[in-house]
Amino acid sequence: MKQLLLIAASEWRYWTRSYLALSGTVLFMVLLIVTSLLTGMHSEEQAHEREHHQTEAENTFLAQPDRHPHRMVHYGHYVFRSPAPLALFDPGLDPVIGQSIFLEGHRQNSAMFADSGSSANVGGLSWLTPAMVYQLFGPLLVILLGHGAIVRERESGTLAHLLAQGISGRSLIVGKGLALLCFIILLLVPLLFSAIFSLSHGEEVLSALSLIGVYLLYLSMWGMMTLFFSSILQKRSTILATLTALWLGLVLVLPSIAVSIAERAVPLAGKIETDLIMQEDIRKLGDGHKPNDPAFKQLRANILKQYDVEKIEDLPVNFRGIVAMNAEKNLTGVLNDYADVRMTKETQQAQALSDYGWLSPKLAIANASRAISGTDLEHYHRFLREAEELRFDFVQGLNNSHAEKLTYQDDMNRNRDDASGLKARVDATSWEVLNVFDFQPASAVDRINNAFQSIMMLMFWFALLIAALLWSGRRLQP
Amino acid sequence: MNLLSAIIREAKFMVRDRAVLVWMLVVLSLSSLAVWSGMDAVEHQRASIERLETADREDRMIQTSHVKSWGSAAYYGFHLTYDEPSEFTFAAMGQRDLSPWKHRIRMLALEGQIYERDTGNPLLTLVGRLDFSFVAVFVLPFVLIMLLYDLRAGERVAGRHDLLVVVAGRDSSFWLVRAFIRAFAIFFCLTTPLFIAGIVAGTSYTTLVFASLFVFVYTVFWTLLCYWFASWRLSASVILVALAGAWITLSVIVPAAGRMSIDRIVPIPSGADILMTQREAVNDAWDLPKATTMNAFWERYPEWNEYKLIEGSFDWNWYYAFQQVGDQKTEPLTIAYREGRLDRDRLAGMFSLLAPPILLERSLQALAKTDFNAAMAYEDRVRDFHAELRDFYYKKFFRKEAFDKKLLKDLPVFTN
Repeated sequence: MKQLLLIAASEWRYWTRSYLALSGTVLFMVLLIVTSLLTGMHSEEQAHEREHHQTEAENTFLAQPDRHPHRMVHYGHYVFRSPAPLALFDPGLDPVIGQSIFLEGHRQNSAMFADSGSSANVGGLSWLTPAMVYQLFGPLLVILLGHGAIVRERESGTLAHLLAQGISGRSLIVGKGLALLCFIILLLVPLLFSAIFSLSHGEEVLSALSLIGVYLLYLSMWGMMTLFFSSILQKRSTILATLTALWLGLVLVLPSIAVSIAERAVPLAGKIETDLIMQEDIRKLGDGHKPNDPAFKQLRANILKQYDVEKIEDLPVNFRGIVAMNAEKNLTGVLNDYADVRMTKETQQAQALSDYGWLSPKLAIANASRAISGTDLEHYHRFLREAEELRFDFVQGLNNSHAEKLTYQDDMNRNRDDASGLKARVDATSWEVLNVFDFQPASAVDRINNAFQSIMMLMFWFALLIAALLWSGRRLQP
Repeated sequence: MNLLSAIIREAKFMVRDRAVLVWMLVVLSLSSLAVWSGMDAVEHQRASIERLETADREDRMIQTSHVKSWGSAAYYGFHLTYDEPSEFTFAAMGQRDLSPWKHRIRMLALEGQIYERDTGNPLLTLVGRLDFSFVAVFVLPFVLIMLLYDLRAGERVAGRHDLLVVVAGRDSSFWLVRAFIRAFAIFFCLTTPLFIAGIVAGTSYTTLVFASLFVFVYTVFWTLLCYWFASWRLSASVILVALAGAWITLSVIVPAAGRMSIDRIVPIPSGADILMTQREAVNDAWDLPKATTMNAFWERYPEWNEYKLIEGSFDWNWYYAFQQVGDQKTEPLTIAYREGRLDRDRLAGMFSLLAPPILLERSLQALAKTDFNAAMAYEDRVRDFHAELRDFYYKKFFRKEAFDKKLLKDLPVFTN
């Protein structure tokens, strides 16, 4: 053990004297701290702004005067997607998905206004976040520091000396690995601060810890890969070139290729296209604005029978409201069916993409990081579902007051003159059917569950490289 | 020693250099894969447009088959608008993955419709697809770095450096020839698939020539940078690290800094404010005296101000007038949003002069018509189309033309 510590310590001494290692580390840390601060500030501003808009939207809805309930169905409501606490580290999908949805009767609108649609167009890699810095540049820094670990001893002739002293190849590698591991832990300090900060915004300790855990796994994996090539190849610059080429392939190129393949594997039609197909199903349901639509014949018969009356005028409830409620229910069924198909396909595409994490650890870490941070596709779908639930609830609440609080006669005469118009209103307390929208990420356990497969992939790489290192340690020769 | 013989000699060397051949093969396959994937995506978009056109026509026919007035025809009639991909879109998908390129529009207030986003899977957008511009902008420099960083240091270590310099004569030209021969070999591997795909896709030769010219200049830039770094009397590792650092700085750090500062320098109104303002305006109109709405409408359309309105009952003319007035009230915000985005793009254009990767990416997007201007031009075309639609119906409404379903065939059609 003492031997290992000595090897590790001497590696650290070497780094502190190496101009490249020092400047690389300083640059990385500066980049990381700056992006952490900027991303954190942006996330904070966004959270603040969206919460403000959310409250404002709720207040305006509730402040509406007495009016016909169906007008409120069309008046609608806005919901805003507030970023998860860990978005300050990994905003994930946030820049490419809409921030708000307009909720109204009879329709499911898409989320509008994504950051990427209005931000300055300065190229594909300009969306730098702390998570990206770790995923893209963490490996490069580890390569920069670790690539010489074994080969340096070989080039300077000290390797033969060390091995002759009775230090086994394996313990040499373990010692160097220990040094690299300590360095990686040091690199994770800014992430630790982000994680602690997210705790003050209501993040769970478990997810903060597992986020640190997956990045430790990812960077250690690169550390081991570096040591592996450092011990099997003979020339320092060849090792550096091999590792950089691997980095280019695994981190930059493979994920993009995987996107193209995943897109082909699961074809996904656009929303307008599926909406048009959906229209055919919707037409069969009948228009809820028209109680005389033949589609509601059965409903009419049932309701007359239920209340044992002859004419809808004699019903104790407003038949128009009943129709509106019924039509909205059926319509929402169809809308949700199509939305589910769409989300399932998107999830299948995401799955097809994440399968390539077995080949590219960058894909695996990015998936795990988004899942744990609560900024992945799963959470976007969750937002869409919760928004839809809210929409359906308030629309049905309004339809309910349409049926209960407004008589059929008053409702039919609403356009006759101003006085009848005033009569066909319900009081503003009925708007309180609107629930507060508070979008929260899933529980830490659920999120870690979502990241499970990606974590397995990282573990697989980890185990594979341990085996490779053990093998290369045994055959290490000067 | 003349240049030609130097070139031939170096070319012979290169053909025997396994590393160069491997990298050439890598670039050739990546470029082929990229153009193929781009063409496939464009093919997919075209097929989607075709299906949409049919479905849209059928849907409008059904929707308008039971309407009995101009007002309800306008209410139920949706119109497909789209931005057709250009013959070069396959090379740089650009903003087409981020901004909407299709909308179904009807005559209601436009501000409530134009910000809808029918974009693909956000996860795929975030990770980013492999297209030619990605390979040219990000992968090409890296490959050049890998091939050129030990141009001299490698020979120095092998002990051949000084000998080579003595034999080859003038110092710099010899290394320069070697560097450029390798770079051009990579350049040809990169652009050959582009040309083939361009010919298949029917891209104009000017576009292809310009695109390869841009990539050529970019190749020369990186080759000179590598050549300069490689001439330092330092170890190959240090040179490689320095070049990788330059790549990171120019491709990632400078763009990221640029985007963040531009977005801060040019604030834009929040989308939420546009939507809320529009909704309040449209909604309030129900409770306002009709004359208030009509007066605001007539300010914009004085030609229809002879229309007599009847207070108290529902009237399509008034209904569409308040939709129009809703858009009018949002106009200051809409203009600020539009101008803000244009300003950001202008600044980004100037900023790109600092970082060749951004410059190349933006130039390729401009050629492919997938840049911000193209997205904006499409938005403008949708606005124009909406205006045409309104003109068509306003004439019917205010001239009190009797409703005739047959006349719906004269509806304006969105053209690309």
